[in-house]
Amino acid sequence: MIDYHNQHRDLIPGSPAQKLLEGLGRAVGFHDLDHIGAFGMPTGAYMEDMLAPAAIATAATRFGPLEKVHAFWFAGASCDGCSVAATGATNPTVESMMLGAHPGIPRVILHHPVINMESGAHYMRAAEQAMEGTLNAPYVVILEGSIMDELLAFDQGGYWSAAGEEPWGKGGELRPVSTTEWVARLSINAAAMVAIGTCATWGGIPSAEGNPTGAMSLMDFLGKDYRSVLGVPIVNIPGCPPIGDNFTETIAAVCYFLQGFGPLPEFDELGRPAWLFGETVHRRCVRGAYYEEGQFAHEFGDPECLVELGCWGPVVNCNITSRGAVRGIGGCMNAGAACIGCTMPGFPDKFTPFYKRPPGSLASTTVSRMTGSLIRPLRKFSNNNLNREVRWDKTGEVTSGFGREKSDPGMLAEVTHHFYDKMRRFNDNATNDGAAWGKIGDDGGDGRHPEQARGFKSGESSKKAMPGRR
Amino acid sequence: MCFKTLPVSFDGRGNATLRGGANPYGYTNSTPNHVEVTETEREERIKRLVARNGHIKDLNMDPITRIAGALALHVQADLDNGEYLDAHAQATLFRGYELILMGRDPRDAIFVSSRACGVCGGVHAHCAAYAIEMAMGIKPPPLGTVVRNMEQAAEMGYDNPLHLYLLAGPDYSESVIKASNPELWPLAESWPCPNAHIHGFKKMSDLMVALNPLTGSLYREGLDFTRLSREIVVILTGKYPHPQNVVPGGVSTTLTLQTLNEFHSKLGRIFDYAQRMMAVWDDIPAFFYEADERYMQVGSRPMTMIDAGYWDDPYAYDGTYENCNEWGDKRWSTPGAVIDGKLVTTRLTDINIGLEEFVEHAYYEPSHTTRHATDPLGNPLSPWHPWNKRTLPKPGARDWKDKYTWSTSVRWDRRAVEAGCYARMIINAQSRKIPTSDFIESTGHSVRMLVPKGEVGEREVEWHMPDVWNAFERNRARAHHYLYSQLVGLESLFEAYKLFQQGERQVASLTPEELEKAIPQDNRLGVGFWGAGRGWLVHHLEMDKGKLTNYQITTPSTLNASPRDPWGNPGPYEEAVMNTPMIEDLSNPESFTSIDMMRAIRSFDPCMPCTTHAYTGDGEIVREVNTCSCGGD
Repeated sequence: MIDYHNQHRDLIPGSPAQKLLEGLGRAVGFHDLDHIGAFGMPTGAYMEDMLAPAAIATAATRFGPLEKVHAFWFAGASCDGCSVAATGATNPTVESMMLGAHPGIPRVILHHPVINMESGAHYMRAAEQAMEGTLNAPYVVILEGSIMDELLAFDQGGYWSAAGEEPWGKGGELRPVSTTEWVARLSINAAAMVAIGTCATWGGIPSAEGNPTGAMSLMDFLGKDYRSVLGVPIVNIPGCPPIGDNFTETIAAVCYFLQGFGPLPEFDELGRPAWLFGETVHRRCVRGAYYEEGQFAHEFGDPECLVELGCWGPVVNCNITSRGAVRGIGGCMNAGAACIGCTMPGFPDKFTPFYKRPPGSLASTTVSRMTGSLIRPLRKFSNNNLNREVRWDKTGEVTSGFGREKSDPGMLAEVTHHFYDKMRRFNDNATNDGAAWGKIGDDGGDGRHPEQARGFKSGESSKKAMPGRR
Repeated sequence: MCFKTLPVSFDGRGNATLRGGANPYGYTNSTPNHVEVTETEREERIKRLVARNGHIKDLNMDPITRIAGALALHVQADLDNGEYLDAHAQATLFRGYELILMGRDPRDAIFVSSRACGVCGGVHAHCAAYAIEMAMGIKPPPLGTVVRNMEQAAEMGYDNPLHLYLLAGPDYSESVIKASNPELWPLAESWPCPNAHIHGFKKMSDLMVALNPLTGSLYREGLDFTRLSREIVVILTGKYPHPQNVVPGGVSTTLTLQTLNEFHSKLGRIFDYAQRMMAVWDDIPAFFYEADERYMQVGSRPMTMIDAGYWDDPYAYDGTYENCNEWGDKRWSTPGAVIDGKLVTTRLTDINIGLEEFVEHAYYEPSHTTRHATDPLGNPLSPWHPWNKRTLPKPGARDWKDKYTWSTSVRWDRRAVEAGCYARMIINAQSRKIPTSDFIESTGHSVRMLVPKGEVGEREVEWHMPDVWNAFERNRARAHHYLYSQLVGLESLFEAYKLFQQGERQVASLTPEELEKAIPQDNRLGVGFWGAGRGWLVHHLEMDKGKLTNYQITTPSTLNASPRDPWGNPGPYEEAVMNTPMIEDLSNPESFTSIDMMRAIRSFDPCMPCTTHAYTGDGEIVREVNTCSCGGD
């Protein structure tokens, strides 16, 4: 068991985090809550205590050793879009985790500025306790938004992004404490550091060319050798915004493991959940087959593959086309929107200007156009045949009242399909002659295959053939 | 239309000219005459009170939770007299998005500026598209505009319940009432809800239990309906927040009949819920006003606000500044400026040229210019107008008399104007300009709406201009705006079906190749007049030689989180807090929670991620983004 109360390790020497805390000095003392009284505490209780009656499970149904875990959510250079994405998650939902309503997941005590009832110093109290080592359970830190270079602002007496104020100024004066500072201080004893969204995972838009704040990712900030007290490097769940389910599911998967019943979740070499980000988004793209057949959208709104409208899907790790955005609905290419690589470390500067085809796509689209020009007519040919009932082949009449441009297949097609069906049924056991089981008067229980019983025999016209798959 | 303070006169045809004199826009030459309490008078009063009273507390609430983004509030609270003597709103985040946009290809603006805010997640992308279209001379096809309207109506369907039930709602819940206003609880237990037949809560206490955070049924239902509306949005946009389908000249959505049908079937589930929402937020003010009349003062300030209009007429919108007053007037929500409850203009050009941004109390160096003396139509522009503004961010020490926030001070005709989705209700009630509709009507003093039948019966509702403007009325109007926006979504869907019926499929006017060729090489100005879940949203840009040379975002929460202006007038949050009485029991100063101040602030639906400003290095800042449709980052 890890001693969360007393274990203290230093930050990675030379990392921006270590330099920042060296520049800011020691944090001495916290708020005097007696002086503050109930200011900012309209329910008279902390969120953890308010929800406890609804959220606590006994050991009997807990599925594991962890009863609860604190989660500190901080927003750096952020748009809050990751928070919004997380509230959209349904597998599982954030509220089910907070209410302990999801078997196997410990009660999550979420400290989130958009959710909590307490404000001001009372809101920051749990973070202070985590720093002091007096928090009553292990904690994880979740960061959305990039880390900005606060030394740059601190040197001018200010900040870029602040969350709460603490008496850490000269002579104990209150000063706004930057998100960056909180993250550095809390990383020391955290059970895990989780970056959500492309800003926190790779820097994202706030770190794009021309930014004034020195914005960077959580990994860049804490350094390559950073490990949590559980020995885990930084976990990254990218996306701008991320898919809410990718976040909640990853947290849940880690919990299942810690509770002793789930497998050790696999993370890739960049700390992404491997089972979510292992494939390119193109591989499960609903328009991928257009690429295969060499058909590409030319105008916005066209139904074909979007690569020539500026889609980077074939080289981007993401799962939105298969998972959807909210409750399985949506997905960029599903809706007609080109992938701009928002889950990638190279976002945005390696993908701009937008709405312009990736130059590298020329080679592959040329090849797929060539193969597609061969494959498409053949598929159309078969598709036409498969769009005919077997009965129509016999009667020569298509009974659809909507009308068909071409009701007869034509001589060449008939001959081709005849040979095609021969090929399809080549080596088919059912070509053996035998009495059909199940025919009226011939159902002696001889154990023959029911398919044979339906009476398709070799030598019959291809017009009677079972429809089959290509 | 005329300005009260700005040195601009209008002729009979509405053309504006600058009144004479040297430096007509100077602070002393055009001074607002509505300064009620000067900073000096306020300070002296506080000094006097402090001298004879031990119960004045200097308090800073950082952070304020249950708002979007980073906001802190500093107050001087007189616990003897139950008054907030002073208030300073602090936007505590800066990211520098405008700077990141400087020098970029204009095609990048949509997806980069979208990231200014993830709470009002689609609005910046759309607003940027409008600004680019104006600068580049592009006009979307009707279906492109209709799809944008559908997206943005659906987005309101997520945004309004998120605020009412996750952010503001808990302040009226059992958990808060029992601790902060215990005297109200017995009353709530015996108070029958007038709208019980609609929302199903017999007593106010039942309703308050349902508002409890996480465990309450209204809280949970609200959260779930935000998800339903997000499902509707992503059918069209692919993802949310940050839509992936907005392009200059339209959208890239592949519209099929299935798209429209799914939109329809999901939207159809919302109208019953809208009825319940309006019923809940009608009963809450009724209860509080009856319990104690002082609640009418919580969060009060003059009904002075501004909105740029929302949801275009697909046949009128042509993307030009020249015709913006015509296409602006045909929007589903009319643009407008309201001063002390009265609609003074609906013209987008008036709204635009009255706009100024000051940085005396924000962490920036002054950077106004006289680069553009007029707008493209020849109307005079202030040196502090966004098209003239460069911003030099300079993080520095916090000083209540000097600089204390990252939010700039936005003024219209040198008045502090409020932004909110409710501004649409106030303007549309008076304008009588909204399009003919079976479902929505502007009567000149109210908005009348017909709720289509769902599982419960159809119902006609009417939202009236309130006599007082306060926290409760903001929330009530927001609940009605929820229905309004969903009816616009329904009307837009019908328009899409109609266009489909006519065989129309084109959703964007240019192909990617044509778009690239259309990037102009000369100097161009553009402005996107748009809206967000919190009201007003405007992007101003300038481009030259095919690159963005200036980009400015003015978000609703920049307006609302404004610090003092150069004349000492407070911003809307500050003013609303100073007007808020302390109604809670103050006999024990230790038990002072400031709940009414929080109700006041949250009623604005602050959203701070958008307040961002930027510099270019060496301390020189070129441009900034202000607060988000959200607030001050």
